[in-house]
Amino acid sequence: MPDEVRIGVLALQGDFAAHCDALRAAGATPVEVRTAEDLQSVDGLVLPGGESTTMLKLLDAENLFEALVGFGREKSIFGTCAGAILLAKEVVNPVQRSLGLMEMTVERNAYGRQIDSRISKIDIEGHPAEAVFIRAPVIRRAGPDVSVLATYQNTPVLAAEGRHMVATFHPELSGNNTVHSRFVEAVRKLRSAEVTGIARQPYGT
Amino acid sequence: MAQHGKLPVPNFSAGGIATPADAALVMQLGAEAVFVGSGIFKSSDPERRAKAIVKAATFYQDPVKLLEASEELGEAMPGLEISKMSESELMQVRGW
Repeated sequence: MPDEVRIGVLALQGDFAAHCDALRAAGATPVEVRTAEDLQSVDGLVLPGGESTTMLKLLDAENLFEALVGFGREKSIFGTCAGAILLAKEVVNPVQRSLGLMEMTVERNAYGRQIDSRISKIDIEGHPAEAVFIRAPVIRRAGPDVSVLATYQNTPVLAAEGRHMVATFHPELSGNNTVHSRFVEAVRKLRSAEVTGIARQPYGT
Repeated sequence: MAQHGKLPVPNFSAGGIATPADAALVMQLGAEAVFVGSGIFKSSDPERRAKAIVKAATFYQDPVKLLEASEELGEAMPGLEISKMSESELMQVRGW
């Protein structure tokens, strides 16, 4: 199928299966990614929710860290929760390494402990949506080129920069695929832009 | 459940998992997570075995990686032969 969009989901740890379901519902073909070779066949990649320190260890064990940085220089990555932490330029509480693909500072476990996890209503560019926050991070600083697509308690919870997007919540757990559809559409646009040479604000509506 | 073909919650599998192959087997049978306690801590080299079981749960569909993960792990958790257990260790006589 020439129109098929293949989206990888990093499948070392976390809720990658839920992302695969959401991507399928959004019209993409999900591909579980466990090795650098798996990245070859996909147009975009999802970094799922999970535990970011564990993911870093597993990325190192599989020699995937540099492969992901390289992938992100050419193709789109969507990070949710732990995935958002991995994408950020700077991580605090505690300080840890990250892929550094989006100009922002992310604070881990910023709402508190597990008991502070919550399901809240947010607004994504005029569309009401449910946001599942599980020991979620907060974007404390966003660079000038980061566009904020949704906020909660006055901080960004859905944001994009260039070809990448992050959510501090878990859109894959809400049974509503609007956020995933947005990512799939952006990947589709960017892929055709490789041919036509136009790629401005792929996440705009 | 009938509609989705699965439980509404993740299936965590545990109990008696002592080798990377055990972890891969339950993943192949449909487990969505595996947790292991004594299978790691009663083995001869817990750290190495823990890493190997994590690897097996990730690459449960890759026989070559499973084989690599299974090599040189030392002794697995020893099994218990029921007929040789003392009465104080038997579950069915506890709590009465």
